[in-house]
Amino acid sequence: MKDILNKLDPLSRRVFAERTAKAALGLSVIPAMDRVMGATSGKAKHVIYLYMSGGMTHIDTFDPKPGSDTQGNTKVIDTKSGYQMGEYFKGLAERSEDIAVVRSLNQKTGAHDGGRYTMQTSYTKRATIVHPNMGAWGQKLLGKMHPQIPDSVTIGGGVYPGSGFMGPQYSPLPIGSAERGLANAMSPVDGARSEKRMEALDTFNRGFLDKFKSDEVKAYTEFYDGTLSFLQSDGLDVFDLTKEPKEKRDMYGNGRFGQSLLLARRLVEDGVRYVQVSFGGWDMHNQIDGAISTRGSELDRGVSNLIDDLKACGKWEDTLIVLTTEFGRTPNINANAGRDHHPRCFSGMLAGGGIKGGQVYGKTDSKGYAVEEDPCTPQDFNATIATAMGMPLDKVVFAPSGRPFLLAGHTQDPKTGKILSEGKPIQSFFG
Amino acid sequence: MKILITLVATGLFAVTALAGEMRTWTDSQGRTVEAEMTGVSAGKVNLKMPDGGMVPFPLANLSEADQAYVREHAPRDVSAAPGEVDAMILTKLQESYLDIKKQQTEVTADTTMDRDQKAKKLEDLQFLREMTYPTKNMSEEQFVRRAYLSIGGRIPTYEETVAYLDDSNRNKRAQLIDDLLDSELFTSHFFNYLSDLLRVREGISMNGIDSLKAGAYMDWIKDSIRTNKPWDEMVSEMVAAEGYYWENPATGYMYTDLGMELCNLSNTFTVFTGTEITCAQCHDHPFEEVYQMDFFKMAAFFGRMETRSPQGEAQELAKIAGEKRKQFEAEWKEMHKDEERPPRFDRTLQDLLGAYRYYISDGTNNRVKLPHDYKYDDADPLETVEPATYFGELVELEDHGTPREAFAWWLTSKENPRFTINMTNRLWGFVFGLSQIEPVFNIPGHLDGQAQNYELLQYLEQLMKDVDYDMKAFLRVLYNTKSWQLSANPYSPTLAQIDKGEYHFSAPVLRRMTAEQLWDSLVALTVANPEQYQKRTLEDYQELMRTDWSDFDLQDGLAMKDRFRSLGGGGMMSNAEEMDMSAVSFGRGINMVRASEQRVPSPVGSLLYDFGQSDKQLIENSNKLGSIPQVMTLLNGDMTNKHMTSDQTHVVKLAKDAGGNDGIEVVFLSVLQRYPTSEELRTADGLVRGDDYSDLIWALLNTREFMFIQ
Repeated sequence: MKDILNKLDPLSRRVFAERTAKAALGLSVIPAMDRVMGATSGKAKHVIYLYMSGGMTHIDTFDPKPGSDTQGNTKVIDTKSGYQMGEYFKGLAERSEDIAVVRSLNQKTGAHDGGRYTMQTSYTKRATIVHPNMGAWGQKLLGKMHPQIPDSVTIGGGVYPGSGFMGPQYSPLPIGSAERGLANAMSPVDGARSEKRMEALDTFNRGFLDKFKSDEVKAYTEFYDGTLSFLQSDGLDVFDLTKEPKEKRDMYGNGRFGQSLLLARRLVEDGVRYVQVSFGGWDMHNQIDGAISTRGSELDRGVSNLIDDLKACGKWEDTLIVLTTEFGRTPNINANAGRDHHPRCFSGMLAGGGIKGGQVYGKTDSKGYAVEEDPCTPQDFNATIATAMGMPLDKVVFAPSGRPFLLAGHTQDPKTGKILSEGKPIQSFFG
Repeated sequence: MKILITLVATGLFAVTALAGEMRTWTDSQGRTVEAEMTGVSAGKVNLKMPDGGMVPFPLANLSEADQAYVREHAPRDVSAAPGEVDAMILTKLQESYLDIKKQQTEVTADTTMDRDQKAKKLEDLQFLREMTYPTKNMSEEQFVRRAYLSIGGRIPTYEETVAYLDDSNRNKRAQLIDDLLDSELFTSHFFNYLSDLLRVREGISMNGIDSLKAGAYMDWIKDSIRTNKPWDEMVSEMVAAEGYYWENPATGYMYTDLGMELCNLSNTFTVFTGTEITCAQCHDHPFEEVYQMDFFKMAAFFGRMETRSPQGEAQELAKIAGEKRKQFEAEWKEMHKDEERPPRFDRTLQDLLGAYRYYISDGTNNRVKLPHDYKYDDADPLETVEPATYFGELVELEDHGTPREAFAWWLTSKENPRFTINMTNRLWGFVFGLSQIEPVFNIPGHLDGQAQNYELLQYLEQLMKDVDYDMKAFLRVLYNTKSWQLSANPYSPTLAQIDKGEYHFSAPVLRRMTAEQLWDSLVALTVANPEQYQKRTLEDYQELMRTDWSDFDLQDGLAMKDRFRSLGGGGMMSNAEEMDMSAVSFGRGINMVRASEQRVPSPVGSLLYDFGQSDKQLIENSNKLGSIPQVMTLLNGDMTNKHMTSDQTHVVKLAKDAGGNDGIEVVFLSVLQRYPTSEELRTADGLVRGDDYSDLIWALLNTREFMFIQ
């Protein structure tokens, strides 16, 4: 390996380094190489990104309209910070001093796919490119953080658009179910047999490895061996929820969402930068009362516990919790006792990671139809996340086709032609 | 060096003598001579002088105009083409070798460098010099493996391997290449390649249309490969496609970017001309001569395309389907009226009836207008743009039926400077692992100095035209070259080398299997005939959609819906009930049939997904990088620990039948297509417990040798 490196000119060496396992394959075998631990200027070293898939109703959650005919059957409760929430957010209402709510999110599309895409990437969906999500941007601009595990982990589906044009080395590691953890983590054969198999594998590999000294083979081998030693260490325990006391698991709620949050906390504690948890079932076209009572309560319980737990384990200050969705739901209750898609206004939440809690940004009208004050686009929302993470908003990254992109969308200065960030962070969230 | 010279010598292939015309030739220094061209070989044009004397004259020393004349008029014998290709590669390697040697001499003589600097420089040069050596001709074991993987997309089965190795025919390599190209193996493998290029996926469009099943489009692509439809025809059929999707599945291409016509134009250019013009959608191209106006003029060829049923018969049919839908919904409500929570009207039935609304045609109204922020002086924002081309031939719209037909004519014309070179370049990469020009989606305007071997690329471009875009004929030439049949280069080219156009293909690049090659190889270990099961959707689809609905009630509709559902999509495998018993299923959707016969793309968490199958969102979006799930799948997953080692599989059955050391040989030949060395045999012996070959199979599947194509 060293010999080959010495034979290459500096450019090739850099390129080579990029192509080898450490940087390129999502799993860093030689930890020191490209870790930029703590290089962020933002306080949020980690992000737990909670995505409410389907379009979370704003009126029944963070933006109630008491006294309006659009409020429906969800009751309204007071928080400690002088504003109100839907009745199912009791835990969050108690913790309102810790969280910052955005009530003026809005976007152009009322289609799930397109809305989700823009929310997660700041760009409109196109057929010629896939834009990266914030996890990929984090790894790109701030460096790889965890020595072994990929820097983005996605729990409960919703991998797309993932790393987009940045390529597979920035791809999230998908975890289908938190309970099952990482698939195929355990060897199905006993220790002695496993050892024998591995020794044989070494023998069978020898001839080929002697002959082929190509970067790809070396990288693959290095990567393979790295993963192997990682598997044999206790590094994968982080994925194993049975390592948590039963009371803790119960506290989060035994549904998929609660357990996903617990896994997210474990990963963050272990040094993973970006964990995304998808929570479906928000597309409440029918019978919203029943749906919101279960979904709302599950969300409230899980997120409240996550806040407490992060505080208890000392990760609250450097972990940002993001909660968002693709759009809100119509103020009018439809014929099926549900609410339909409503991209004109919706709500989200930020907490921890240096975000100043106890406040609300933006305002919608008295019935919850449209934004009245301080509109917040998906680009603004992402710019806020990026600022918390300490990422420069104006850093241009080029796709392989040569097209320039910024993390919170871009516009062009008509005079100078300079590329500018489209999104602007919510300044009041940074005290 | 000795090897090099001998190969160059044998590379001088017989000249095909054909009568040319007497003309005046001019060399690069302006000197002229009267002569007749009799042929071209090894970079030299053979000139017959008026006195009858033959002079082989280096092509490179002719004037540019004469070089162009030779390219166009040289008599060409396709059977001699592999030799020509080899000769051109060797010429280039030799040049490179001599150049590096010269540099080494210069460095050695240089007195200004310090010792360390000098040593380092010499070492670097030596490394590059070694890369110009042709590798050894590969063994028959290596050949049979590479041929099956590269042409057929999978490793050969045990029987196929043994049959080839035992064949005493001296011409067996060429024979195997022919057999594979004409087989279903190639159809499957090339389909995977094209479907990555064309982004073929369930739901067809970007956001999915459940009314349109991908299977029909997949069938059309496979049939085009099977019947060896020339590439220009295939492209024309897609770009100008009209009609109902199930009657003309080539329309699948036009649905791919539904609602994003401008993106579709960009993608069309990328795939078929190797030209990246996406940036001109919003502003003039910063580096190339592509203006925003050009982009919209090209887009205007598609400006009249409609995807909804036009007036006339199609609209009638859509109306009938719409009324049927209402009738069925009313019957549905009636049927469920007593239930407390009546189920929603059946979604699949709606999709089925909704399919009649889709129909590709060209109307009269051109919808392509300049964007609202158009900022150049030559036109106003929101102005309608008329179709026109910005390079290649001029197109007269009146000469063609629809604007898209005009575009197809222009695109696939032999005079289009980019159409032929694009596919030539892509197919070279498909065969050799790296294209002559990288990246393939952005071929620069001036190719000289950009291609790894410019002369060769020009030659191949002409060859592609000569064979009239017969893909198999073209690929046959490449597979029959000595260069392709050399053992893979032990070093991979550096990116710097590729960037500078200094990699000259001493041999195919060593490659990891694609996700599909890996999967299909596992299929070949599981069943005796991996191609036995072939998904067929089109005929059933057509029969279903040609139904006369007029007398149907809800029950009939629901029965039709079930048939519609069986056409695939949504994680289902089409006509699964017809799956032959020879196709082994390991449950949970793991059916051991080839990747091309499965749902595309494979779901997150599947083996194909983990090993980098394209998600079909972007052109050529597959990857071969490693990931944790890959290694964990191979080490600990069911596939290598349970499925491949179960008694159901072909390899286990064969190994057990053979028993003992013979069984070990069977496993080696099945997985790696070679016999074990004596050391390996000893190691393997320690792994086999009685007639249980599981651990041996596991170990071989985990080797780099299995995962890479040498």
